[in-house]
Amino acid sequence: MAMSIRDRVLGLFSGQEVDRVACYSGMGNVTTAGLAEYGYKFPSIHGDPGKMANMAASSYRLFGFECAVVPFDMCVEAEALGCAMNAYEDVNQLLYPTIKEKIIHSNDEMTRITIPGDIHERGRFPVVLEALRLLKNDVGNEVPIGSWFLGPFTMAGQLMDLNDLFKLCFKKPDQVNSMLDILSDLIIAMVPRYRAAGADYIVIREMGAPTDVLSPRTFRQVIKPHLEKIFRSIPSPKILHICGDTNLIIGQMNDVGAEAVSVETKNDLVKSRETIGIEPLLFGNVDAYNILVNGTPEAVGEAVLRSLAGGVDAVWPACDIWPEAPLANLKAMVETTQKYGASNWARKTRADQ
Amino acid sequence: MTPEREQELLKKLADAVVNYDEDMAREGANEAIAEGMEPRKAIFDGLVVGMQECGRLYEIQEYFVPELLMCADAMYAGLDLLRPLLQKDDSKPRGQVVMGVVQGDVHDIGKNIVKMMFDAAGFTVHDLGRDVPLEKFVEEQIKTDSEIVALSAMMTTTMLGMRSIIKMIRERNPKAKIMIGGAPVSEQIASMFGADGYAKDATNALKDAIAMISSLKDM
Ligand code: B12
Repeated sequence: MAMSIRDRVLGLFSGQEVDRVACYSGMGNVTTAGLAEYGYKFPSIHGDPGKMANMAASSYRLFGFECAVVPFDMCVEAEALGCAMNAYEDVNQLLYPTIKEKIIHSNDEMTRITIPGDIHERGRFPVVLEALRLLKNDVGNEVPIGSWFLGPFTMAGQLMDLNDLFKLCFKKPDQVNSMLDILSDLIIAMVPRYRAAGADYIVIREMGAPTDVLSPRTFRQVIKPHLEKIFRSIPSPKILHICGDTNLIIGQMNDVGAEAVSVETKNDLVKSRETIGIEPLLFGNVDAYNILVNGTPEAVGEAVLRSLAGGVDAVWPACDIWPEAPLANLKAMVETTQKYGASNWARKTRADQ
Repeated sequence: MTPEREQELLKKLADAVVNYDEDMAREGANEAIAEGMEPRKAIFDGLVVGMQECGRLYEIQEYFVPELLMCADAMYAGLDLLRPLLQKDDSKPRGQVVMGVVQGDVHDIGKNIVKMMFDAAGFTVHDLGRDVPLEKFVEEQIKTDSEIVALSAMMTTTMLGMRSIIKMIRERNPKAKIMIGGAPVSEQIASMFGADGYAKDATNALKDAIAMISSLKDM
């Protein structure tokens, strides 16, 4: 009998033998095809738990993606802390929500930040929690339910001016570190609630910290300690994702205590394997825009094979799937993984020898 | 001032920028002023030379975004003292640029680096920030009579907004030069959208802008 999707995805973390590489994600994967199926407008799905859950499940239903993940935008944590969000209700193109009002404007406000005890009732946390519950009931027996948080540094970038944050990493590293420590507590407080609501696995996305932006040295000083604390404190399965260039920091990413590391297309997987070796779980890195949206199904197939050749243990899009990706491409991603996910799985072929 | 002292001061200004030392940049600028160095020289052979070195260090991944931002602050600290003393003729900016990240897009790290290079080269930059409504670019260009409009977008949908901006600017002021950039943008897209230029990074953006300004002056 074929293995269930849930066992395939979750078994990998618990050390079970699984039949092949899975094709899923820990990041957003809403599609315009899903939106059309339900007649939803993109801005409306971020604040409505039913719509959010339906969109997350639609990727499983429409192209066999082996997961269901909420939320889709990066404003949830910042809103719960008091920021105002813009969903671009009146704009015709597909735009992702952004923070329009930040809450930290001075050093003083930075040191005064606290996590309210009822944080789970603030902003859209109740929406996400409800969406997780709905998903659990809807597709929770078939696919694993995933969710994610921004890493503390990326979260801080939503709360205050990013340029100031960058400079303060050098000028006032202690203040920055104590703020990031507090923001880490938000994640540590919320993960168990997400889990209780139905999330099977959690991803921490520290998108603001690739070497396109920060040096490996700064990563060591202001990013790594907080990720270590978070991963020490949250339950398994737990995954770290960073977009952009990560080859220079892949060793550190592998060291923070996540059970798997996910990387973007800019990461050279072969080099990463040279650095971290063959043992750690590495996920990635099908280009979520240039290939999944602009490529042909053949190009998608090739990209999946490249990721497998690079030694991934799960085929993940490199970031949120860009919603306009055509269904034919998304199906090609899943089908190529189904077809080659056992024969081309480096971990498996090594073990069989 | 002896040639040795001049070299020493210029080096101090450049080093202050490279070492992102705002106090040293101010000190160097004040010494240059007190000892009668041409402000123009102090800026372009001192501070700007330092900023160019920072750009090089960034390209070889020795410096990263925070370092660059701090170098720019040191440069601005020196510029604030020196700029007001420029002779009338020298104080004319090289050109004016309206710059921003288009609506729906918060990715402004790249745009800020481009802005820095333009500042260093003596342009006046009207920075509209990020998530800028499309019409705002048109209004600001008209208001400031800037020669160049520089648009940045890091996502595909927001990139499409550039097309509308270009169209609106062309209708209102066909003379303005428009350059676009950001990760999803390419040479091809630039010509498809009818932009005058595209550059893949800040250094090339600056080169293009300087060429655009000279072409306008030739007209
Ligand atoms: C850091 C980052 C963020 C930060 C941004 C912080 C900030 N204030 O800028 C945060 C975490 C906030 C973020 C948010 C999101 N992000 Co983001 N992010 C990135 C990341 C990792 C790096 C971008 C970066 O800063 N690079 C470094 C700078 C220095 O490079 P640069 O911007 O390219 O700039 C250079 C050149 O392009 C050029 N240039 C830039 N502008 C201009 C202008 C002109 C005129 C010229 C000539 C040249 C020029 O010169 C610059 C210097 O050399 C990229 C990944 C990647 N591979 O690029 C994703 C990426 C851009 N993000 C992406 C996405 C999807 C998002 C979100 C929508 C996610 C979500 N679910 O909400 C949100 C955006 C919400 C919104 N509506 O805006 C996608 C975009 C996909 C697409 N369709 O194209 C990317 C590509 C990730 C991916 N692989 O899919 N992100």
